[in-house]
Amino acid sequence: MSNRTSRPATKKQNKAAPWIIAVVAVIMFGCAGIVAFNTIRNMVGFFTGGGDVPAAETVTWEADSAELTIAASPVMAPVLADLAETFNAQAQRAPDGKSLRVSVTPYDPEAMVRTAVQSPPFQAISPDSTLWLDRLEQLWAARAAEGAESEAAMPIGQRRISAQTRYAVSPIVLAAWEDVARRLGWPDQPVSWQDIQQRATQDPDFKWSHANTKHASGLLAVLAEFYAGAGLTRGLTVEAATDPATLEYVKAVEGTVRFYGENEDQVVEQLKREGRNFLDLFVAQERVVLDWNRQNPGERLIALYPAEGTLWTDHPLALLELGQGEGEPAVTKNQQRTYQAFSEFITGADAQQRLLAAGYRPADLSITLDSPDSPFANNDAVDWREPQTTLQMPSTEVVNVVRDYWYYTKRPTNVYLVVDTSGSMEGSKLTAAQSALKAFLEQIAGDRDRVGIIEFGSGLKDYSLLTVLDDGTRQQMNGMIDRMEAAGGTALIDAVYAAVATLQREDQPDAINAVVVMTDGLENESGYNLYDLQSLVRQSPSLPIVIFTIGFGNDADEETLSEMARIGGGQFRRAGEADIEELYRIISTYF
Amino acid sequence: MNRTRIIFAAIIVVALLIVGATFLLTNRGGTPGGTALTVDRPDTVTIRILTSLPVEPWVRSAADAFNAADRSVDGVPIQVQVEAVDGLTALGRWDRDEYGALAADQRPEELTDAEREELANFPVAWIPDSRYLVELANAAYKERLGRDVFLTDGEYRARPIAISLFNWGLYNSRAEVLEQKYGDIDWNVIHDAATAAGGWPELGGEPAWGFFKLVVPNPSRNVGGLAAMIAAAGEYYDRTNISVEDVVNPEFQAWLKELMGAVTDFSSSSAYTAEDFALFGYSVGDGGQLLESDLLQNMQGILTRWEDPLALYYPKYVTWFDFPFSVWVGPETTALQKNAALEFQRFLLSDEQQQAALAYGLRPANPNIPVDATEESLFTKWADRGVLPVVPRTTAMRSPDRDTLLALLRWFELNVNQ
Repeated sequence: MSNRTSRPATKKQNKAAPWIIAVVAVIMFGCAGIVAFNTIRNMVGFFTGGGDVPAAETVTWEADSAELTIAASPVMAPVLADLAETFNAQAQRAPDGKSLRVSVTPYDPEAMVRTAVQSPPFQAISPDSTLWLDRLEQLWAARAAEGAESEAAMPIGQRRISAQTRYAVSPIVLAAWEDVARRLGWPDQPVSWQDIQQRATQDPDFKWSHANTKHASGLLAVLAEFYAGAGLTRGLTVEAATDPATLEYVKAVEGTVRFYGENEDQVVEQLKREGRNFLDLFVAQERVVLDWNRQNPGERLIALYPAEGTLWTDHPLALLELGQGEGEPAVTKNQQRTYQAFSEFITGADAQQRLLAAGYRPADLSITLDSPDSPFANNDAVDWREPQTTLQMPSTEVVNVVRDYWYYTKRPTNVYLVVDTSGSMEGSKLTAAQSALKAFLEQIAGDRDRVGIIEFGSGLKDYSLLTVLDDGTRQQMNGMIDRMEAAGGTALIDAVYAAVATLQREDQPDAINAVVVMTDGLENESGYNLYDLQSLVRQSPSLPIVIFTIGFGNDADEETLSEMARIGGGQFRRAGEADIEELYRIISTYF
Repeated sequence: MNRTRIIFAAIIVVALLIVGATFLLTNRGGTPGGTALTVDRPDTVTIRILTSLPVEPWVRSAADAFNAADRSVDGVPIQVQVEAVDGLTALGRWDRDEYGALAADQRPEELTDAEREELANFPVAWIPDSRYLVELANAAYKERLGRDVFLTDGEYRARPIAISLFNWGLYNSRAEVLEQKYGDIDWNVIHDAATAAGGWPELGGEPAWGFFKLVVPNPSRNVGGLAAMIAAAGEYYDRTNISVEDVVNPEFQAWLKELMGAVTDFSSSSAYTAEDFALFGYSVGDGGQLLESDLLQNMQGILTRWEDPLALYYPKYVTWFDFPFSVWVGPETTALQKNAALEFQRFLLSDEQQQAALAYGLRPANPNIPVDATEESLFTKWADRGVLPVVPRTTAMRSPDRDTLLALLRWFELNVNQ
């Protein structure tokens, strides 16, 4: 959807010398040749079944494969990968001689579940909570009810998970700086969710954050808000959750959240970069508190266990019941052996001690949490006798309602997607970027969230104003994405400058204002420089604009992108063609 | 030889031929399910046994001992493979016929080599949690094949290999408060505690404890949840048998729904409820009715992790798991495999293995073995926490029929799990 009646601010176009025009003409001629070649190649590909866009692959494995692939939550994936390395080094073998091996791949829990219902490229999953296993079973049951599986005679046993174990747990806590915790009443008074919510709504300087509801800690924080808003501590129903007074309360509290995000580790990264004043308190697993205090000798974080109750992350490892759909490969006997062996390994003494050292509560109940070498011992920042009670997990229906309604109560978002379509994006890169942009749009669900797109090359190529996404506008934006063409240079800073200036003109301090910029090349065309961008951002201190930057491929201008992210208080991430879509999905969780 | 003698001799020969042919045909299979798969005499007979989770550690340990002892059947060495499968997952697989049983009109001798290969991994026996599951699996196959696949009598009948009751486990701090207020612990006391609007402070407990939190397994994922609902129904009606009419009674349903409203989290997919109870402590459950063996196995962990021991109580109406060793009687497995399964069953029921079961908190199915027969017995270890060697004056709930079980499950799905 192009709208040129209110063009974003850009600096005057650079004057070009005649020899440059000649060079450009040669380049354009070359580009035209390449485009023509590609067009012909694609036409040939179309008629021969080839082409640039890879066909959907059916993931399969050998019938005697002993390699178990585990999709793990991003926070746990590095720990699990480390344990898998030790396990693989043991070189255990199946009776047929195949080596039992484990590989770990990080997946956002929601993407993990979404993938697990249809011929996944993994055989086991390890999300941060069994909440996701329940979600998976729910999706699977719904799918089974639609298909041939509904012929089953009994309302039980139609499951996607065949075995599971838990290897570590950690309660969700309010992680607060020690002085903040003391002001809230710690260690003499219990601190409640309501205390935090009241403090946040009454004190404009109080800064707190929780993850998106796609993560256990974020979901718990929002559930606690709905409970408090409804004046309940258990028995939350759809009616109570959707009562206008409840929603108003949640909206008021959510308006105080500084930012959301994919998980608590990202909050920790921000704390490291921004320092003590970035946040007063955030919702996280207890192990984050232990980890932070161990690594950072300065001011301590304190784990506050909410008085009304909390939830646990319980890190299940679950083997999928595959082979139920047509053409879907089943988990092999050897993979089952690997699962069994790895389950035993991660619940064994050595792995359990390593998990304890990492701040988790081990699943092995013979391990005492107050033994001398335990991080819990002689440490008043955490309390292993807590929590005393948990919040009641409502039915799946209520949880879904809470998650859906959250989009309508959370802070509104204004986000500009700034997209490099310079000549170097030609081909599969552009195709991957287009899919990623569409995936991002799919994730933006709130009726107060607005998205705009700026497409740039040597200058501004096309743009759309900030727009609330409904079916019509989403279609128009997808159309704009489809029309993107790769050509020209890289006026990166100008494009970001335009996005920031536009957001400043909108002047919505109650919203999360953000720019997500992606480029695959080096800045080479802008009239503005980074100093100009920094000056612009500093002009409106009361209107923070977060800048997320994505370096696409190996040739991206990482230095400039990192500096931009620093200026905008955001993050710089790298991505390749394989994971650019997932990265856009992840960034969408910040809104 | 005259003509009469020739005719007589011919009749004798024909009769002998008929008898001989009949003898040959009837001895090709020999199993109750019909003609069994015929194979060349193998070097080793391997039997795959699906085993429910509460007895899996014990059965696996027994299988290791059995395999190491070079046991054989008809001179052929036996190798036992134990596969841990939650009872309901296994039932789902039987229900979907995932193991690939032959159709009613399919004859084993007509199978191709590839089809025979596919049957090589067919489970020879199943040890579910309860006979409820065997009945449900038989019901599924009766619709499909017109006959039972697990027998209730005869040589291949399902035989219990161990027993475990359902009893109450409450954190001691909480149990003391409840006993002081109500006296003996039963489902009605739990119901009253669960519905106390003021939570623990109203009951005489600490405000930090929040509301009374009940632990009951999710019945659609763990047969223990079904057993708990049956026990609760028994106490509500004060009798040992319940029917569909009892389940659909609106007053009972309202009472049961209030009770289930005290469960903190049904969303967990875990079948290891007692382990969860220990792992998350009193924060997720003040007490619940769970499998005795699971409770006993987790008593030490609870003490180590939470410092608040568990107190055990036995209900008036008792439900239990009997872990029936059920041999598949269809033609998908060979007679040799079936007999090997019986050999392993006998091993599990031996005095030595029945005593070994005590260390897992399982009550021996063999009546000759008392629960305090060994030093490792968890019944001896936790005697001071309320575990009883013999449960007196209790009344065993009768197994409800299939329709009643399904009515309970459907009620749960529609009223609690949704």
